[in-house]
Amino acid sequence: MTTALDTLQRPVNHLIRLGVALAAIGALVNLVPFIALTELARLLLAGTVDRQALWLCAGWVVIALCLGWMACGAALWLTHLADHRLQASLREAMVGKLARVPLGWYSESNSGAVRKGVQDDLEDLHHLIAHHAVERTAAIVTPLAGLVWLASLNWRLALLAVLTLPLYGLAYTLMMRGFASKMQLLDQSMTRISAAIVEFVHGIAVVKAFGRVGQAHRSYQQAVNQFGRQYAGWVRPLLRLEAISSMALSVPVILLVSLGVGSLWLSRGWITPLELFAETLVAVVIPQSLLVINQSLTAQRTAQAAAGRIEALLSIEELPAAPRYSQPVEHAVTFEQVEFGYDAAQPILKGIDLHCKAGTITALVGSSGAGKSTLAKLVPRFHDVNAGRVLVGGVDVRQIDPDQLYRHVGFVLQDAQLVHGSVADNLRLGCPTACDEQLQAAARAAQIHQRILALPRGYQSVIGDDAIFSGGEAQRLSIARTLLADTPVLILDEATSHADPQSEALIQDALSALARGRTVLVIAHRLASIRDVDQIVVLDQGRIVECGRHHQLLQADGAYARLWHASAVEVSQ
Amino acid sequence: MIRSLLTLLGPAHATRLYRYLAWLVASAVLQGLAVALLVPILHALFAGNLPLAMTWLAGLAAMVLLTCIAHYQQAMQGFALALLVLTTLHERLGQHLMRLPLGWFNSEKVGQLSRSATSGTLMVTGLFAHYLGPVVSGVVVPATVALTLFVFDWRLGLTAVACAPLIYFTHHWSANAIGANDARVEAAASEAGNRVVEFARYQQVLRAFGQAQRGYRPLQAANRAQQQAGGSMLAQTFPKLLAGGLSVQLAFALLVAVGIALAATQQIDAIELVALLALAARFVGPLAEAAARSGLLRMASNDLEQLASILRQPALPAPATSLPLTAPGSLEFDRVGFAYPSGPPVLKDLSFSAQPNTMTAIVGASGSGKTTVTRLLMRFFDASEGSVKVGGVDVRALSSEALMAQLSLVMQDVYLFDDSLEANIRVGNPDASARQLAQAATLAGVDEIVARLPQGWATPVGEGGTSLSGGERQRVSLARALLKRAPIVLLDEATAALDPQNEAYVQAAIGTLIQNATVLVIAHRLPTIMAADQILVLDEGRLVESGSHRQLLADNGRYAGFWHERQRAGGWRLKAERPSL
Repeated sequence: MTTALDTLQRPVNHLIRLGVALAAIGALVNLVPFIALTELARLLLAGTVDRQALWLCAGWVVIALCLGWMACGAALWLTHLADHRLQASLREAMVGKLARVPLGWYSESNSGAVRKGVQDDLEDLHHLIAHHAVERTAAIVTPLAGLVWLASLNWRLALLAVLTLPLYGLAYTLMMRGFASKMQLLDQSMTRISAAIVEFVHGIAVVKAFGRVGQAHRSYQQAVNQFGRQYAGWVRPLLRLEAISSMALSVPVILLVSLGVGSLWLSRGWITPLELFAETLVAVVIPQSLLVINQSLTAQRTAQAAAGRIEALLSIEELPAAPRYSQPVEHAVTFEQVEFGYDAAQPILKGIDLHCKAGTITALVGSSGAGKSTLAKLVPRFHDVNAGRVLVGGVDVRQIDPDQLYRHVGFVLQDAQLVHGSVADNLRLGCPTACDEQLQAAARAAQIHQRILALPRGYQSVIGDDAIFSGGEAQRLSIARTLLADTPVLILDEATSHADPQSEALIQDALSALARGRTVLVIAHRLASIRDVDQIVVLDQGRIVECGRHHQLLQADGAYARLWHASAVEVSQ
Repeated sequence: MIRSLLTLLGPAHATRLYRYLAWLVASAVLQGLAVALLVPILHALFAGNLPLAMTWLAGLAAMVLLTCIAHYQQAMQGFALALLVLTTLHERLGQHLMRLPLGWFNSEKVGQLSRSATSGTLMVTGLFAHYLGPVVSGVVVPATVALTLFVFDWRLGLTAVACAPLIYFTHHWSANAIGANDARVEAAASEAGNRVVEFARYQQVLRAFGQAQRGYRPLQAANRAQQQAGGSMLAQTFPKLLAGGLSVQLAFALLVAVGIALAATQQIDAIELVALLALAARFVGPLAEAAARSGLLRMASNDLEQLASILRQPALPAPATSLPLTAPGSLEFDRVGFAYPSGPPVLKDLSFSAQPNTMTAIVGASGSGKTTVTRLLMRFFDASEGSVKVGGVDVRALSSEALMAQLSLVMQDVYLFDDSLEANIRVGNPDASARQLAQAATLAGVDEIVARLPQGWATPVGEGGTSLSGGERQRVSLARALLKRAPIVLLDEATAALDPQNEAYVQAAIGTLIQNATVLVIAHRLPTIMAADQILVLDEGRLVESGSHRQLLADNGRYAGFWHERQRAGGWRLKAERPSL
């Protein structure tokens, strides 16, 4: 099966293959200095006086060293380039994915996981692409070619050079048992640490305010301790084995074995001193290669786990796309027998039938948890319904190109959600092509222009740096943003009521400007704000229980009337 | 690097680090000496003197034994140290973060912090297992080998030693370039990471404005910047890395050349030279390895340095012993001035006091410094001028525990931990009995939330408590404060609208809270303001009026203007444009 990762990797595969080829060549060239040195030793021991021959050998050593090093460097450079390109396309694919998954997915995952996916996992992948293939090639080719050369001199030499390896191999097999599952556990702990520290830092104000210094970073410390315990529990018993077995690969031990056994064989005449010289040169290089392969394998497992997570992220189910898109013809909003729940077994909305005529204001009221926000958010397709249809301008929202949908449906959320950027950037979110005059006109209509001008850098002030807005101001900014986007359908979450009196009057003006001529669906918290709208819809436990104008509903003396009387005290104040 | 490690470990564990490093160096020196024995052994073998070779071999065996012991020691101690760093690092980090002024935290810092804390954790485990050892032995072994070359032939020894500066400087040059680039790449990655998290977090609004579908430009720009940083790292560092490695290869070439020149002029015994060449080959291998690893070590040390620099941030000074309270339950600002770091003054010459069991309301336009008043009381920051007193004592003379025992806080922006609902409320008082918890819950209307939630009290309220509505979160915050029963309550009244039901609970809870406490409230609602014993009117950080509602109305000043405007506005309204529809 072709995975998404394979597909993305295809354009860079030729770079990786070229890198591997170069690495193999470099590894072979790296053997030449050993051969030349042995030749040099032969000449010297023979007592030669041919200086030219000596210098020729030296020349071979130098050239081969430089060429080998450069070939390996070039190989790595190519794979790094491949990695660089792959990361770019992967990051793009992941961000694109984030934009297309249903918003419900976000509540299940947390920022730590997203961050890990897009940043850390990509970094882990780096080893797989940029290092693994090249280093493994070099680590295999050099010792193998070396052994072949030794064997060509004398088969016993090749045997001598690998004498200590079985010991290490045995220990290594023991150590690697259950590696993958252990690694996965550690990785999960790591994710927990990441999430815990983010939470700890975000909650630090509460922690300070309640003086729970010792206790508050409990979950953070727990996450760390858990990681420490798992790591120690896994590594500690292996460590002694690893410390002892790795000595089998250490240069002194290999020299001792090579020279000790070599001397014995010398005394029996099985090998010559010069052959032993060649053997020591090659033998000490072999363990190094093995260590590289070993480490490369460890990193490769990490990388493969990362690749798996990236793969999982890339294959999250997206909001389904329709085969053909239609254009909404007008701006009415209609709900037909809508049923919805994040979990289909526990519907939040049941049997919703509602028609909002174009250009009218509809208010959704009801206690918290009644489903007001959920209902409103179905219009911009934050979620898809489980049953029934949501229509904008007579077209099912699922049949409208997402690109078109946002041009029809605008949104002012309770949480103004200003992004880190200049005031102008924030205003232009909904209309990137707006000119400065348009920005200012929208800001004026939303009663925020003067406030922006009072900022140190005016419209260029950066949110959170030199532009710090109160809740009411942020709200007005988000209204200006929506004005600029100029969508015929508007979802409005009533937000500010207890802002300072000035702010409140200004928000009212801004909202009136915004609502003019649009189809508005407002999530109302205070009944006084919406008594004059065209249609009031009362929700209770996910069902519409009443619908009508203010005076009609009061006369009906039902749920709305009860809510109204409950809030009358507040209003009279 | 070592300095960062010491900062992270704290002075208590410094000797353990030094002991580990000593074993690491010892193991490398012994390894170098063992390798040097190659020369007499090969020499004896070439000369055909087997008994002499055997004697030297016995010496080598002894040296190998010592090397193994040292190697084993450093591996074990390195592991123990890794575990120690891992736990102390996070413990110290957590404790230090608690003592930093809140002004230090901003979204960038938080992003970077979580990034370096996670990658730092991995780095620490890798550092002792894989990075530090090879680099130390990669430098110490060749150095030992070079010095032993002197013993065998001073000219070759001199060549090796002379190459050292050349190798050092090329390496230093390339490592610096890599380090600088790495810091740039790291900064770009951090920015891109923040943008991605922002992209995920504000997905609602970005989607509503079509930014998600069309591509969110700041994120694209951040990704591009990261791409470019990575690209320039590739372009710039590779030639340098190549040159760094080549200098090592050339050093070996030079040794061979000098050897041949000596042999050609019969200044060195051929057998001796051949044996020495075998040793010289060992001069190069570890160095190349060290050069390759030093990049990794540099990255690790960047990570550690970032963490260490957080620990080096000055904490809010705390007194050694807390002064006893002279007037519990009272508050006082005495000519207080305050400005955020590198910002304009926020409070100017502010003086007021609040008697025990009274209610003080602060009113003023946004940006007038209301919130700063509560922040100074909680010592999120220290006043630049004057003094802030709680219970009759300057807050700077109180321990954090003593200060916080006096204060309780109901904030507008309620942070909920990723834990159960119960744990979130018990933050207010972990020792509260089940009855106290139930009482607070009933008063704040949390019991109603509990009844609605599938798992009741045990329901996790999610990252940042996202599964509760604004009004519900407010109630949780009130329940926390009710449970704490502190003598002073700081209340930031909600500016966000609450539905009637939420509003009723919030009012009831506040009513209970203020019965037995001194209350300082940042007030937005008229009933709250009217009920206050004292109203402070702030304007651009100055106290412009103070007194009771009645007094201030009679004065007919700023407050009276406020009041009348508010009476007129009475909340916003949406109206149908056409009456008949």
